[in-house]
Amino acid sequence: MTEMPFTSDAIEVDDALQAIELYAERGWTDGLPIVPPTEGLVAQFVEALNVSPDAVLGVEPTKGAVITAEKAAINAVMAGCKPEYMPVLAAAIDAITDSEFGLHGISVSTMGSAVLLIVNGPIASDLGMNSGVSVFGPGNRANASIGRAIRLIIINVLGTRAGELDKATIGHPGKYAWCIAENEELSPWEPAHVTRGQSEGSSAVTVVPGLGPFQVGQHHDDNPERILDAFIDAMFAMGPLMKDALIVLCPEHIEHFRTAGWAKAQVGQYLHENASRSVAEWEFAGRPVAGNDPDGTELVSALVSPESLITVVAGGGGGAWSQIIPTWTHGRAARVVTKPVTV
Amino acid sequence: MATDSKLRVLDPTGQPTIVQQGMARRPDTLDGAVVGLLANHKLNSEPLLEAIYDVLSERFELGGRVAVNKGDASRPAAPEVLDGIAKEVDVIITANGD
Repeated sequence: MTEMPFTSDAIEVDDALQAIELYAERGWTDGLPIVPPTEGLVAQFVEALNVSPDAVLGVEPTKGAVITAEKAAINAVMAGCKPEYMPVLAAAIDAITDSEFGLHGISVSTMGSAVLLIVNGPIASDLGMNSGVSVFGPGNRANASIGRAIRLIIINVLGTRAGELDKATIGHPGKYAWCIAENEELSPWEPAHVTRGQSEGSSAVTVVPGLGPFQVGQHHDDNPERILDAFIDAMFAMGPLMKDALIVLCPEHIEHFRTAGWAKAQVGQYLHENASRSVAEWEFAGRPVAGNDPDGTELVSALVSPESLITVVAGGGGGAWSQIIPTWTHGRAARVVTKPVTV
Repeated sequence: MATDSKLRVLDPTGQPTIVQQGMARRPDTLDGAVVGLLANHKLNSEPLLEAIYDVLSERFELGGRVAVNKGDASRPAAPEVLDGIAKEVDVIITANGD
């Protein structure tokens, strides 16, 4: 094999354990042990993209940090990825470096948001990704390591370390890894990436600048209106006029929507209309509506529009637990972005 | 490649993109100067800039003020915002009023 022309400094170590300790000492990890990125392994990961090591996968718009295939591959190895995950990681890098996403802001802000990756299309099942039981939990290598690789890239390539550039007040557990696949098989609707403009049958990655998720249980009713009513109090706690928010509906809830014949768009329409309260009530709850009379009686929704709600189906078959996830600055300074996976 | 039984591992960090910028020319006095106040959109950035302007007003015969809010604390000001205010002012003050 011809040696790949890497530009990164090479460090000689006695063995893998020494490398693990060295990388921890240098602040090159998320606090967990890494897989040592040997030249041979990194070469395999770059080859999986069929590009040269210096190929640019993304440029962070605010600081101008360049993410090359080589740096992405090094961090992917460290995170525990397999080479075949690289196309998903490349699409994720393309998405997080889109200026709409606001990567710098979400990574350094006291508000402490993390990058949620949602993978759609055939690549998700090809890689054995989890879209079912404990979808946000541990146990699946692709979910865990792709999510972790994005964080290691933010730490190492962008230099955004906790306590240095990352000034999150209380942080976010998703900053270790936060990556799922949509449960397209159990969804009655088109997949999220198709709703967001990608072609049917394609694979894509959607990146969400997510704040802390809120789990909503509704086991007592089987009509969609009553299920969605359970989300409204949670949305009131998030604040008015969110431009982007994610709802993750579990299979048990979804079955009720299917039975009732609901279209996907109705979910956003219902919550936009009903997650509304007066300006005075928002003010009383400590979530003022900017630019409005604090005693105002006009109704203001938690969502800017029905389309502000991004609907995803995921999770296991038992239990009626869904989630709603607000986004950093409520979408005012960072938006959800979807990019295709090129295999 | 490994030599003997040793491993060669690669540095995962990126190198910062550094662009050398010169300092703006410093005026000898602010008497007669139009002062730009560039707020970064944080909650208290405008009150902070106004307070600074008031202090300067006590010390100099200022030629006026032009206040602009860049509208997004997490991104650089748009070039058209900077070009616009640069044409109107002699000096500019920016502030982060978190």
